[in-house]
Amino acid sequence: MLQKADYNAVFFVAAALIMFFIGGLLTTVAPPLLDQSWSKPFENADASKGPTGKLVQLNEQELKGRKIYVREGCWYCHTQQVRTILADTKRYGWRGVDAPVSTPDEFVYDSPHLFGTKRTGPDLARVGGKYNEQWHRAHFRNPADLVPGSIMPPFPWIADNEQEFKALTAYIQTLGRAKNWRPDNDYEK
Amino acid sequence: MQTEEVIKDAGEIPVASSAKSSESIHEDTTAKLFIISSITYFFIVGIVALIIAAKFVMPSFLGTVEYLTYGRMRPLHVNGMLFGWLLAADMGLMYYIVPRLCGVKLWSEKLGMATAALWNFIILGAVVSLVMGWNQGWEYAELPTFLDVCVVIAWIMFGANIFMTVANRKYNAMYVSLWYAMGTILWTAFVYLTGNFATLFTTGVNQANLNWMYVHNAVGLIFTPVGLAIAYYYIPKASNNPLYSHKLSMIGFWSLAFVYVWTGAHHMIHGPISQWLQTISIVFSVMLLIPVWAAVYNFITTMKGQWHQLRENIALKFLMSGVVFYLLTCFQGPMHSLRAVNAIVSKTDWIPGHAHMAVLGAFSFFAIAGCYHTVPLIFKTKLYSDALANWSFWLFLIGGLGFFVTLWLGGFWQGWQWNNPSIPFIDTVVALKPVWAVRLGSGFLMFGGIVAFAYNILATIIGTTGEQTATATA
Ligand code: HEC
Repeated sequence: MLQKADYNAVFFVAAALIMFFIGGLLTTVAPPLLDQSWSKPFENADASKGPTGKLVQLNEQELKGRKIYVREGCWYCHTQQVRTILADTKRYGWRGVDAPVSTPDEFVYDSPHLFGTKRTGPDLARVGGKYNEQWHRAHFRNPADLVPGSIMPPFPWIADNEQEFKALTAYIQTLGRAKNWRPDNDYEK
Repeated sequence: MQTEEVIKDAGEIPVASSAKSSESIHEDTTAKLFIISSITYFFIVGIVALIIAAKFVMPSFLGTVEYLTYGRMRPLHVNGMLFGWLLAADMGLMYYIVPRLCGVKLWSEKLGMATAALWNFIILGAVVSLVMGWNQGWEYAELPTFLDVCVVIAWIMFGANIFMTVANRKYNAMYVSLWYAMGTILWTAFVYLTGNFATLFTTGVNQANLNWMYVHNAVGLIFTPVGLAIAYYYIPKASNNPLYSHKLSMIGFWSLAFVYVWTGAHHMIHGPISQWLQTISIVFSVMLLIPVWAAVYNFITTMKGQWHQLRENIALKFLMSGVVFYLLTCFQGPMHSLRAVNAIVSKTDWIPGHAHMAVLGAFSFFAIAGCYHTVPLIFKTKLYSDALANWSFWLFLIGGLGFFVTLWLGGFWQGWQWNNPSIPFIDTVVALKPVWAVRLGSGFLMFGGIVAFAYNILATIIGTTGEQTATATA
């Protein structure tokens, strides 16, 4: 059947595009129509159904911090997704409480998305409230001072720029907080 | 008009295509421009590669200058290698191959030269943007929208030239490399638009899904088909043996056209994306073995009776090691998508080991082979030094293997440690330090390969009187 494509360039082009578009459309256009959780922001008030909470949009300062996170390429080393793997929920949990698995409805407002592909550093999906501002300042100035053996690069130009530092820290503190997952509510500011 | 060579089977076209009688019609200015600039970027971006490898060993290295921080150098490395070196080299080789397979000259050298100029503008713009931190935040699609638009224009210029050349062709039958060249142009257009423009109008998981469709197919439907176009042309050409099976190449091509695009979501296995979409991507990922094995079987059998040439023929050395790396990397890919394997290797250092085997071990090896074979021909001279070419091969091979293998072992071990939550994360970082040291060492070897390759090509072009050893390729 496709023999004709050996000789006929127009036929070839049509066949190559049709083959491509079947999978192309079914895997990009169809899924968001089929799975509503991709576009409906997380909201839950019923504790029996898992962590409660509501996804809110970032404020101006937090958005600015997010832009810094993008600019500096933090996302090349840090993912933002607690996967459906037991070790992920344990490792990124807190004082014996497992971190809830990340769900699509927690990321509805994210652009660019920052799920990431590589964990040179730990996942940051639930890092909001784990450390206080002072810790972050020392960490950005030189991570290895605080965590011996760390290969996270120093970011002195952020630590020394009050506005940028505050914005970035404010953004980090929002991560994972749509779900109120720590029972004691002991998040750092 | 040239007299038409008698061609019975499309598989014979590459061997017959540059018969002496028709060689004189080609100008090859565009091919030259693309090849020369791509090799220049290969060298420059190779230095960036060493810088980021060094940062893993010494995180404060160049660490206090914001323009040289890891998060800006890494995208510079990735974009520079993918678009500055590999894609530009591939395009240059297409400007050489396609006219020969069509038996006519390139439709427009002027348009081609303008395309090369625009491409260089894009790469320089990319360097500035990435160093300044004007990063859009999507992998492989970091460049600002203005440059994305330039890429689209350059791609249309490239596509028009290639398609018009095909439309004017003298040989009725289209050899496999032509299908792959045309397929690359068509698919890339849509894949690129998805990854760089459709993403602008979406958010969250929906956007990530489009981003992965692009990232995956940037390799699968850009570098793979254009790389195969090169391999399908140069393996018969360099070994002087017609392609083993036309039918098999058809199976490979059409299965690739159908299967590849479904697999993007395998970048988010276990992640926050619908389970059924993950499963679809896994099923199609495994099916990828079909186009890969069809192509590899075809290449290996084409070499039948010609293996002894591997000892002397530098292009064949790169081509056949590239084929082996292609087979391996495309075996790893489907295996990574299986949930059980993915739970160990995903997000670890295994993945850069895998990715480098694809774009360096397989596709860059094909492009390097193409350059070694082609540059002496289009400059109507001989390769400057066979011995140096041989050095470049062994440096790339040993450096590459050192890089791939240590990152697999290290990454596997890392994944294993991560799956034990009682091991603190920082311990898993410290544990990998020896691995990163070996990676840096391997990087120096590979960079040595780049230097040997680039110098050899440079000396060939400017005609330095060196050893002037004859090549077997002419
Ligand atoms: C080269 C890779 C790399 C880059 C780039 C990087 N990090 Fe890190 N990060 C690490 C590593 C490794 C650790 C673990 C050791 C440590 O805590 O310093 C870490 C730890 C962290 C932690 C503590 C996480 C925890 O749970 O203990 C935070 C928060 C963090 N990084 C934020 C950032 C931000 C924000 C940026 C961008 C400005 C960034 N990182 C860039 C590698 C990186």
